Amino acid sequence: MSIAIEFVDLHFRYPGGVEAVRGVSLTVSAGERVAIVGENGAGKTTLVRHLNGILRPTSGTVLVGGASTRDRSIAQLAAQVGYIFQNPDEQLFASTIGADVEFGPRNLGCTPSEAAARAASALATVQLQDQAGLHPHHLSPSERKRVALAGVLAMQTPVVVLDEPTTGQDARGVEIVAGVVDSIAAQGRTVVAITHDMDFCAEHFDRVVVMADGLVQADGDTRAVFDQVGTLERAAVEPPQLLRLAAHLGWHARPLTPAEFVDASTREPRDLGTRVD
Amino acid sequence: MTRAQFVGTGSPVHRLNPVTKLVALLSILVIVFALPQWWVSAIVVVGVLLPAAVIARCGGPLIAVGGRILLPIVVVLVLVQGLTFPGGRTMVWQWGVLSVTAEGLLFALNVGARIVCLVLASVLLVLTTHPGDLMSALTEAGMSPKFSYIISSTLQLIPAFRSRADAILLAQQARGLAVPRNPLRRIGVMMPLLGPLVLGMFTDVEERGTAMEARGFGSTARRTALEAIPDSTAQRVARWVMPLVAVAAVVVPLVWEVL
Amino acid sequence: MIQLADVSYAYPDSGRFVLEHVDLRIEPGTITGVVGASGAGKTTLAKILSGFIPHVDGGQLSGSVVIGGRDLSGLPLAACVSQVGLVIQNPFNQISGARYTVRGELAFGMENLGTPRDEMASRVAEVAGLLRITDLLDRSPYELSGGQQQLVAIASMLVLRTPVLVMDEPTSQLDPVGTRMVFGVLSRLRGAGTTIVVFEHKPELLHAHADRLHVLAGRRIAASGSPGEILSDPRTDQWGVSATRYTRAARLAREQGLVPAEAPLPVSFEQAAAFFGWSARTRPPSPEDAR
Repeated sequence: MSIAIEFVDLHFRYPGGVEAVRGVSLTVSAGERVAIVGENGAGKTTLVRHLNGILRPTSGTVLVGGASTRDRSIAQLAAQVGYIFQNPDEQLFASTIGADVEFGPRNLGCTPSEAAARAASALATVQLQDQAGLHPHHLSPSERKRVALAGVLAMQTPVVVLDEPTTGQDARGVEIVAGVVDSIAAQGRTVVAITHDMDFCAEHFDRVVVMADGLVQADGDTRAVFDQVGTLERAAVEPPQLLRLAAHLGWHARPLTPAEFVDASTREPRDLGTRVD
Repeated sequence: MTRAQFVGTGSPVHRLNPVTKLVALLSILVIVFALPQWWVSAIVVVGVLLPAAVIARCGGPLIAVGGRILLPIVVVLVLVQGLTFPGGRTMVWQWGVLSVTAEGLLFALNVGARIVCLVLASVLLVLTTHPGDLMSALTEAGMSPKFSYIISSTLQLIPAFRSRADAILLAQQARGLAVPRNPLRRIGVMMPLLGPLVLGMFTDVEERGTAMEARGFGSTARRTALEAIPDSTAQRVARWVMPLVAVAAVVVPLVWEVL
Repeated sequence: MIQLADVSYAYPDSGRFVLEHVDLRIEPGTITGVVGASGAGKTTLAKILSGFIPHVDGGQLSGSVVIGGRDLSGLPLAACVSQVGLVIQNPFNQISGARYTVRGELAFGMENLGTPRDEMASRVAEVAGLLRITDLLDRSPYELSGGQQQLVAIASMLVLRTPVLVMDEPTSQLDPVGTRMVFGVLSRLRGAGTTIVVFEHKPELLHAHADRLHVLAGRRIAASGSPGEILSDPRTDQWGVSATRYTRAARLAREQGLVPAEAPLPVSFEQAAAFFGWSARTRPPSPEDAR
């Protein structure tokens, strides 16, 4: 599978002197769904902001689509990497939701009709198709966050970066975001998401990168990473609910979803079930 | 644009009541304009401002910030007044049609010394007085808390909104917006982005108003202050003496002339 | 005690009611969670509970809002805010801009209310310690991260020691460690007699800390009950309320006939451990068992 993103010994120091990323090397293949987890201040956002050139390495290299980001502007990288900011109010600016979502595709050279078609389909994906004519400020903050998501989806970039996509979302909002993550990956595109929601992470990502102190502490298959209890504890990351429960019950299985959990419950040896009355 | 900023060293000058320093600045302003001779300003600079800067451990920043503001002003002043002063008769130096006269130089010196004095005094105030402390002291001295809030919040929210504007611009670049290097064309690209910023500012102001009320901003209780404003009898006396000296600087020459 | 009776509300010039016939009773010294989908009117209810509706926002409010025996509509706003502290949703806007350090920001409300200086300093130190922001006290509130600003915003209300605290999504910017810490602090305040109303999405924490939950859906209170009852209710999806993975897995197990239909669904880790430990022992025979 082709490589979508590569960080090679990346270091980044803020002008104030804080070294937020202290030597990260990471390769992500096309079509992977990668979740980056860790405490606030672990360096997660600093790392992914290198993917579209908002931040430039202090040392080390970032490759997107096989080429270094060094000589490409943010606007040029935008064709490769769609980035959804944590705060939608920094992204939305047009007077209607539809126009805002068309903005990205038009910058990338789409014709007006193509941009409109892409916007309509992106808004349908986040279930806001009926709101296209409204002003963004008529929506709730969680809906605005979904508009921002649509604005980047419409750009149809090979890589999509999501910074805490589920914060402030209600149950339905989380479902919609999850649907977006799955559909992007199904099209062979790459998703990189920063999240604090481990259950969301377990259900929708195939790879987890744990960060702390500007370094990668664990990286690999979701199930395997969430089994590294000691590492997770040091990074202040709590494993997903069902994995914790399975471990507590003494099961061999490490189920990631309710369906897997229920399936495992029928197969685990009976005597291993912890007695709690 | 040179930005003078508070440098906290905790020196005795920093610990003066901000109102004392403000009164001192205003008194100096009156004195050097009432007494236009260059040596009056020179005495203030050498006798008051420089020692205060040394005590405040702000000498370096004072020279750096003051110098950056003053250098262009002084150069222009000397050139223009020295070369073109209309009443000049005593030639100091001549080259073709250009001539420098002693009268012109003296005039430039008198004007320049006052400007140097005032700029250094103002910069020193800013370097040694945190704006928050100044506002608290003025509120304590009777200024309306609402007025003080408007000044403080403007000083802080302008940079906050500027960083919001930067973030908006970045977010649009991340959606493929090419931002030209040419500053004029850059403004053209940025203008449409300012809508949400301004709109956001209004909704923010409304919400912030709610949050402020929730914390008793509309309360009619007698306000207190977390930080005690440092003060002393000597400073209270000084706040009377300095304006008196300033008044004297205005009145005495007038009386002198009449006599 | 807080009592809302037949409260309806429409924002000015809209004519569209955001809340209709809301009845709500909140016991003193408890943590009450209000859950519901985005746009269900949670922020509006928070403003009604704190007197900002109708005192500041105007609009059409009917019914009665009684806190501590007094109707808020008959009280001036200053009296309302001394009873009820409101933590708004966006921490950036909770920061006043009037003070240059976090320490000054925390003291701002107390200064307005005329709290003596020594008392202010000790309350700032105490609350900063509780929320672990002591090391931020001398920083500018504007140079903090969103999560840090949220802790400062919460602290700026806690120092006022109002008998009632209303919090609109107080942990939206926090990581799990920060979220747990804030809920821990709320539990301590409840222990000291504060009445807390929190508008939140996070089911595991609501279950661990709230005494009672109310569901806001369809412009009214659709259901009220213990966190266990509400979060295991079959209607959570319909209300737009998240259920824990424990509840979801147990519901699935019940749908597949692996556990008796009458078994109460677990919400917390402990309940789930008991539920699945029990189901593992009493589950129907599987093909493996036959061998």
